Amino acid sequence: MSQTAVARRRPRAVEMQTRKRGGLKRRQAIASYCLVAPFFLVFLTMLVLPLFYSGYLSLFREQLVGGTVFAGVGNYVRALQDHVFLGGVLRMAQFLVIQVPIMLSLALVFALALDSGRLRMQRIIRLTIFVPYAVPGVIAALMWGYLYGPNFGPFAQGARAIGLPTPPFLGNEWMLGSIMNIVTWSFVGYNMIILHAALRSIPTELYEAARVDGAGEFRVAWSIKIPAIRPALLLTTIFSVIGTFQLFNEPNLLRILAPNVIGVGYTPNLYAYNLAFINQDINYAAAIAFLLGIVIMIVSYAVQLGVLRRERRS
Amino acid sequence: MHLFKKRPAVGLAATAMAAALALVACSGGASTNATTAAPSKITQAAIDAAMKTKTNLTFWTWVPDIKNEVALFQAKYPAIHVDVVNVGQGAAHYQKLRTAIKAGTGGPDVVQVEFQYLPSFTQGGDLLNMAPYGAAGISSDYASWIWSQVSSGSAVYGIPQDVGPMGNLYRKDLMSAARIKLPTTWDEFSQAARTYRAANPHKYLTNMPGNDAGQFMGLMWQAGARPFGYDGKKTVTINLNTPEVAKVIDFWNPLVRDNIIGVDPDFTDPWYQGLASGLYASWQGAAWGPVFLQGTAAKTSGLWSVAPLPQWDTQKPASGNWGGSTDAVLKSTKNPIAASQLALWINTQHEPALMFATKQFLFPASNTILKDPAFVDQKSAFYGGQQVNKDFAAISATVTPNFVWLPFMDYAYSSFNETLGKAFADRTDLATGLKAWRAALTTYATQQGFTVK
Amino acid sequence: MTPQPMAGQPRAGTLPGTSADADDRQPRTGRRRPVGGQRSNVLTIALLACAAYFLLPLAWLVIASTKSNSDLFSTFGLWFAHFNLVGNLRDVFTFQGGIYISWLRNTIFYAVTSGVGAAALATAAGYAFAKLHFPGGNALFAIVLGAIMVPLTALAIPTYLLFSEVGLTNTPWAIILPSLVSPFGVYLMRVYAADAIPDSLLEAARIDGASEARIFFSVALRLLAPGFVTVLLFALVATWNNYFLPLIMLNSPQYFPLTVGLAQWQSTSAAGSGSQALFSMVITGSLVSIIPLVVAFLFLQRYWQSGLATGGIKQ
Repeated sequence: MSQTAVARRRPRAVEMQTRKRGGLKRRQAIASYCLVAPFFLVFLTMLVLPLFYSGYLSLFREQLVGGTVFAGVGNYVRALQDHVFLGGVLRMAQFLVIQVPIMLSLALVFALALDSGRLRMQRIIRLTIFVPYAVPGVIAALMWGYLYGPNFGPFAQGARAIGLPTPPFLGNEWMLGSIMNIVTWSFVGYNMIILHAALRSIPTELYEAARVDGAGEFRVAWSIKIPAIRPALLLTTIFSVIGTFQLFNEPNLLRILAPNVIGVGYTPNLYAYNLAFINQDINYAAAIAFLLGIVIMIVSYAVQLGVLRRERRS
Repeated sequence: MHLFKKRPAVGLAATAMAAALALVACSGGASTNATTAAPSKITQAAIDAAMKTKTNLTFWTWVPDIKNEVALFQAKYPAIHVDVVNVGQGAAHYQKLRTAIKAGTGGPDVVQVEFQYLPSFTQGGDLLNMAPYGAAGISSDYASWIWSQVSSGSAVYGIPQDVGPMGNLYRKDLMSAARIKLPTTWDEFSQAARTYRAANPHKYLTNMPGNDAGQFMGLMWQAGARPFGYDGKKTVTINLNTPEVAKVIDFWNPLVRDNIIGVDPDFTDPWYQGLASGLYASWQGAAWGPVFLQGTAAKTSGLWSVAPLPQWDTQKPASGNWGGSTDAVLKSTKNPIAASQLALWINTQHEPALMFATKQFLFPASNTILKDPAFVDQKSAFYGGQQVNKDFAAISATVTPNFVWLPFMDYAYSSFNETLGKAFADRTDLATGLKAWRAALTTYATQQGFTVK
Repeated sequence: MTPQPMAGQPRAGTLPGTSADADDRQPRTGRRRPVGGQRSNVLTIALLACAAYFLLPLAWLVIASTKSNSDLFSTFGLWFAHFNLVGNLRDVFTFQGGIYISWLRNTIFYAVTSGVGAAALATAAGYAFAKLHFPGGNALFAIVLGAIMVPLTALAIPTYLLFSEVGLTNTPWAIILPSLVSPFGVYLMRVYAADAIPDSLLEAARIDGASEARIFFSVALRLLAPGFVTVLLFALVATWNNYFLPLIMLNSPQYFPLTVGLAQWQSTSAAGSGSQALFSMVITGSLVSIIPLVVAFLFLQRYWQSGLATGGIKQ
């Protein structure tokens, strides 16, 4: 396109154009490789290499007595029959269908509220909702672990004061919900900022017509704003899906407080970690981690396909 | 300016792959096993020479203030420089140690290893036999139940540092307020627990956590159970079916089921708060327990006392052990003489060993220190002036011998939390939990190639 | 690289502050006034209530930091007791020879270095993917995208084993090198570069005889600055909060970042013999460790806003 424009400007230099075009392509290619090389160098050594090594490890089996033997797909077969692993995956699926919609809906509502311009103290509100993102998982677990405490946490003390039974935040039934709460608390602000930025990039002309027609704020939000940021919503969803299946920090840290509720395989990532470090079973851990990666890929593509299909229909 | 040529990304990938395969082929991943046979005995001359050679040692330990004892060592042997590193507590420490052993590099020379984990390292041949380096001669200073855990035949793999004989730490004031006499037998204890609970519907006489296999093992130890066996090679024994184990399980089952005792996980913030606020009136803890209470339950100072555990048979008073560490040397060390001398010196020389006991409040494993008046006569204000050490020294003498650990206690403790421990926490049938634990241990042992008897 | 849900891109193909066509941009400063909107008190109050929920744990942290060890365990959690903040702070900064300060220094060093490095690598690669055409470009980019889905645990131990081969474990490199890889950063920069840099500008520069290198460094970089800052910030936060990687790689406390150091203090209370209870220090230390990042975010917000706004002004 731009080449022809140049050619039009300098009709005499057609031959030079051809050479320039070929030279341009080559120069661009060389420049590209130089620019991506540093990234790929680190990418290969820090990601691809360990990944291949991990795959290699997953094909073996090591015993305390007897050393290392080649196991082929043995570890993978074992994982697919391992009820701890499968339970972990199911638990994450449960987490996914409950927590992600809630978190993203909240993020969306907050973003819309901020974007509506109807809020006072906008800056402060935005900052306080976002601040949890700055808190490392270790400390978030520390804080929430205290708040959830069945004997000395404020909710427990409050419940006792008014004669209600103590809410068992760290009990078997509620634990997943408690973790959902921590994750939501940590990341709503983050997703809110992203969606808010997307909202701000919508050209105002789109609303003006609607507002002139008398549409209220809710109508504008529902019919114009949300559809306009659909790609952003899709992406936050995909990344939340990936994050969910990789859940590790919160269960790992809460495990100290509730060691009998959060077992070794509460989440697949936690399972892989414990297999590697407590059972000394690096090979099986590698297989679990690989399978987890595959699960993540499948679910992510499923979500994408689902959304694309919906878009095509509408 | 014009950029120089570079290989395309594909080429880079290929090179990286080649490098990967090369690395993998070279590393092999196996732990290093020294092929040299251990010499029969190192001469004193050789030791003296080594201790005068400039050496750098790394010592992984989490004992607080151990730098003081090490400083004494360095004063005596100025040519040896020791780097004391705290890589974590408990589980974190062992994870790093095992990963370093597996990688073959990055490990220390001397390392703190608790008694129950020694077999897991000797099984892999990771520890240096210190008998030829002077460790053979110290056995007489230790009770047999201690020495049997660090030695295997004539080989010595760890120098005992401190132990944890178990006793009953209790709140005198709370018990007398509920009109409960100090229980001396387990039957009395069970009665006392029910009486206490009836008098104090929101408190417990004691707490039995679901996440502390160490404590529960200590109680089984006291009852005469010997659930584990290991021949040092390929055979393990898992014997959780015995009457002694059943005795302990059947004792705690009704108390747990009927909500007579607490089942909160221990060493967590809420648990400390429980101790400080009188939620639990007693703790069947170990000799190192008092130090803890002084830190976190400072407001209850003067209200605690120490007594022996309730007994199964008052004619034959017994106790169990919970915790305690040794210092061991990794076989991969480049300075076996200096490292073994460090381990020996700080734990057997009188001055540093006494310091451990009187300054860091570790309960000594050595008989000499156990008898030393500086240790024995220490009075504790926290315990209302009681000579706690004397009482624990007497208890220590009643710990029964020959307790053996499995060579995979990391896994055993972790699976305890998932099975028997979970039964405690959920207040379900302990016998079922025990069966599940037994099954998990057997499965794991077989998977790892052991023969299970 | 952290197992966190990572940011989404506002719109595939568009970035805040730019419109769909890079060559056809409108200035984006001076964002909207509420059209016909009065400030709503109901909405404000509702959101303030939500904000209180977000602040609750932090409030606890502040209050708990003012208490001593024994007070922590015997007084009501959400109100003050004997004020001991100064004592706690002193303990935090002097315990174990002031190791907390080393941890703080380490964290800042790791985070900033990784952030700058990751942003630099991602910017270069993103620009190349977006603006330059070369064989294999699409395939490589697809690989980068796929990498986002890799669970960290698959890499931790192999990376440790590989690092120990070359003697890099227990060094700062063990933290910084893996943190330089930001596949998401590359994606972000690709999208940003596609919007922020008009092709016509590049063409003009090429016609003027500038080499690709000069084009990148003098022309493109300036335009990419806001995106660079964004990637920098995300990578910085990710490294700052990273717990898992340093936990595995580092043995010596002098190299720990704050996350690992505080966790170690916390677990110091949970082992058998030879333990101490250090809660008040953990809590106060946690509070101190959060402050730099929160303060940084206050400044970051302003930068983001201006960056996002000026990103669109061209030619």
